[in-house]
Amino acid sequence: MGEYILKRIALAVVSVAAISAITFFAMNLIPGGPFNKEKAASPAVQRVLEERYNLDKPVPQQYVIYMNNLLHGDWGVSLKTGRDIWTDISTKFKVSARLGGLAAIFAIIFGLILGSIAALTRNRWPDRLIVFLTTLGTAMPSFVLATLLLLVFCMKLGWVPVWSSQNQSILLPVIALMVYPMAYITRLTKTSMLDALGQDYVRTARAKGVSGVHVIFRHALRNALIPVVTYVGPMVAYILTGSMVVESIFTIGGLGSAFVTSITSRDYTMIMATTMFLAILMVVANLLTDIAYKIIDPRITFD
Amino acid sequence: MKRKLVSALLIACMAVGLVACGNDKKDDAANNATSSDTSVLSINLASEPDYLDPALNSSVDGGCLAVNSFVGLYTYDKNGDLVPALADGEPEVSEDECTYTFKVKDSKWSNGEALTANDFVYSWNRAAADETAADYSYMFDIIVHNDDGTLAVEAPDDNTIVVTLTNPCPYFLDLVAFPTYLPVYQKDVEAANPNGDTPGAWAQEAGFVCNGAYTLKEWSHEESMVYVKNDNFYDADNVKIEELHFMLSADDTAIYAAYQDGSLDFADTVPNDEIKNVQDSDEFHIMDQLGTYYVGFNVNSKIFEGKTVEQAAKMRQAISMLIDRNYIVENIGQTGQVPADSFVPAGMADGNGGIYKTADVSYYDAEATGADMVEDAVKLLEEAGYTMEDKGDGTYSISPALSIEYLVNDGTGHTDIAEAIQQDLALVGIELTIQTEEWNVFLDDRKNGNYDFCREGWVADYNDPINMLDLFESSSGNNDMQFGVNPESWAPQWDEYDQLIQTIRTSTDMEARLEACHKAEDMLMDTWAVIPIYFYNDIYLQKPNVDGIYSTVFGMKYFMYATKN
Repeated sequence: MGEYILKRIALAVVSVAAISAITFFAMNLIPGGPFNKEKAASPAVQRVLEERYNLDKPVPQQYVIYMNNLLHGDWGVSLKTGRDIWTDISTKFKVSARLGGLAAIFAIIFGLILGSIAALTRNRWPDRLIVFLTTLGTAMPSFVLATLLLLVFCMKLGWVPVWSSQNQSILLPVIALMVYPMAYITRLTKTSMLDALGQDYVRTARAKGVSGVHVIFRHALRNALIPVVTYVGPMVAYILTGSMVVESIFTIGGLGSAFVTSITSRDYTMIMATTMFLAILMVVANLLTDIAYKIIDPRITFD
Repeated sequence: MKRKLVSALLIACMAVGLVACGNDKKDDAANNATSSDTSVLSINLASEPDYLDPALNSSVDGGCLAVNSFVGLYTYDKNGDLVPALADGEPEVSEDECTYTFKVKDSKWSNGEALTANDFVYSWNRAAADETAADYSYMFDIIVHNDDGTLAVEAPDDNTIVVTLTNPCPYFLDLVAFPTYLPVYQKDVEAANPNGDTPGAWAQEAGFVCNGAYTLKEWSHEESMVYVKNDNFYDADNVKIEELHFMLSADDTAIYAAYQDGSLDFADTVPNDEIKNVQDSDEFHIMDQLGTYYVGFNVNSKIFEGKTVEQAAKMRQAISMLIDRNYIVENIGQTGQVPADSFVPAGMADGNGGIYKTADVSYYDAEATGADMVEDAVKLLEEAGYTMEDKGDGTYSISPALSIEYLVNDGTGHTDIAEAIQQDLALVGIELTIQTEEWNVFLDDRKNGNYDFCREGWVADYNDPINMLDLFESSSGNNDMQFGVNPESWAPQWDEYDQLIQTIRTSTDMEARLEACHKAEDMLMDTWAVIPIYFYNDIYLQKPNVDGIYSTVFGMKYFMYATKN
């Protein structure tokens, strides 16, 4: 297992390096530049800025300089705001992590509970209700749900303000982000739980007189978890991409909106930093998922 | 049983949907929601500006934040008139109108330290310096530059500033009130920029020293800003609102929702779809703005290949005549914009004590453009070498076929205008294809002349026609029309225009200067490469219990004298 993890980490480093190179060259290929403005600055000012940020050098050389700085822990400054990238990203990541983390945790908890209930009450009304709601949940994109939540809870009912400079509530954005993954996990859990409940080992356990609760938690749910764990990687991706729109609707200064605005404003250093940051996050999430497999199901080997 | 349950659920969902979408009386009540805290004003201008440093900022919303947290020698009052702020009375102007001597009032920075004339000398030199790389550094071009690169701005004592200009400048006091001319606190600016490559670093977090009505106390990036009253502001006694809270968002839906539910007292944007619903309300405000929405041709475009300079101009004139400006302002603009019949906007000063655009400064009848002018357009196109055939239903076919690509950035209003123009041109058989581009690419293509016909717009920074006319100087970075840039045989000669701009810049005779301005605009309009559509105005929403917020024709909003009941 140790060797496997080391191998995976090495692979991850290669992936991130490849992503960094592809992103760097691709972003330099898109037309436009960080200092394009409707009211153009004078050529002298443009020159100073290009020199300051090494944009006057050939792209491969820029990449070498960038990577060299990065290896020395220097992420550079945003070309748009002049702010230190690392400070900026870590502040924004905290915001996004809180939002995305809560959404992920609630999605998993409620998804598992609802999925198990649906499986255990198969074809009875709780199951029907859950199936209905999860279909609705998977069919509705997060931005539609976000707008709907804003309309109902802020505008119609007035329970939460749309925006507040103090104590901005993150309840609604968390709901907007968690509904889709929750619905998906519910369906996954239900299917795999039903599958597990029909297995011989469950029947054997029941025949041996093991208590109902024990059978469900120890034998059925544990095996039903594997497909759910597989979904955690894609879920992190979903929450990250979904957060771009949700953050914008609920005025939350997270990484999602930073990622999008950095691209539209050609803030090269910020594009690199957000892309690599998200890439590392994805690689780590996938690695953890694979390790979690092993813990849940000892039959899985990494060879 | 199950079927009943499913139907009941469906009905419940539909009901929720209906409640959410319905526009009943309850909705109106919610619209009138206002916040009860009368010491706090909640505002949305836009998303977070790139820089709060007044020298480095180049956006209007950032400028609004700057004028509310910094104050310079001059400012604008609620009537939009220039008035002395830190300047003690009017400056003394030399006979040749090139030397201004300002007396400066005693005032303090927000940390209590005294602000002196030297702070202005430092701040102006800093903003003008190449290494600061301020977008608006050219605003200081009017001041004489010494041999060592510094500005001819001196402070003989703590309360006097002497500025020497290269030539008389009728709009110099406008510049002095512009955000780039605001003073900054030298000690902090320099401390945050030890290597000279982070000039804006001192104002990247809350708590920096300033001298205006409000200081920034809290800043959650891309979420909110809390400004609190600065007791050291020179006019603090007249500032009634204790705190300004800014919502940092550019999401139209969220902003409008926040305004509707009372989270905001002031919103600078209204979603296009909602204008109809709010325009009769007393919360909806329309302010004049000095700017022109226009469309323009790349004078070197291949669509004019083989034509003479005159024929190319006639083609463009025909197109200008066909664009129904009334339709655009009434159905797309919707906020009472005035159809434009000249490039320099109505209301602009003329630099000689009057208003530039008088009744005779009109290049065509803007109200009459559109379908009524088809016959004139047909005649012009025939003169340009096209064969026009009347189809009998009021439309024409054109031979050889003429197809033009119109470049526009994504954004509902712009695309709607593109489609309106497309329909107008279809009347004479001209096929207009619309090419939509993302903002940054659009700017690049427009600047480099990679287009035939495109959307344009310009809002003035100061009140003088030169601010509109020098865009088209052949060396200007904003000369998107490519006048005088590697001219093709069908592009107009542009040397004379460049000379006129030089004359306007250096003239000491204001009468002659004004004449040169008109001559330059005549020359510009004769090419028909610049086709004005309408003069901009500025709209915002403000709760009925708020008063005293005012805006200038440049879009700057002043919140410090607001009151709230």
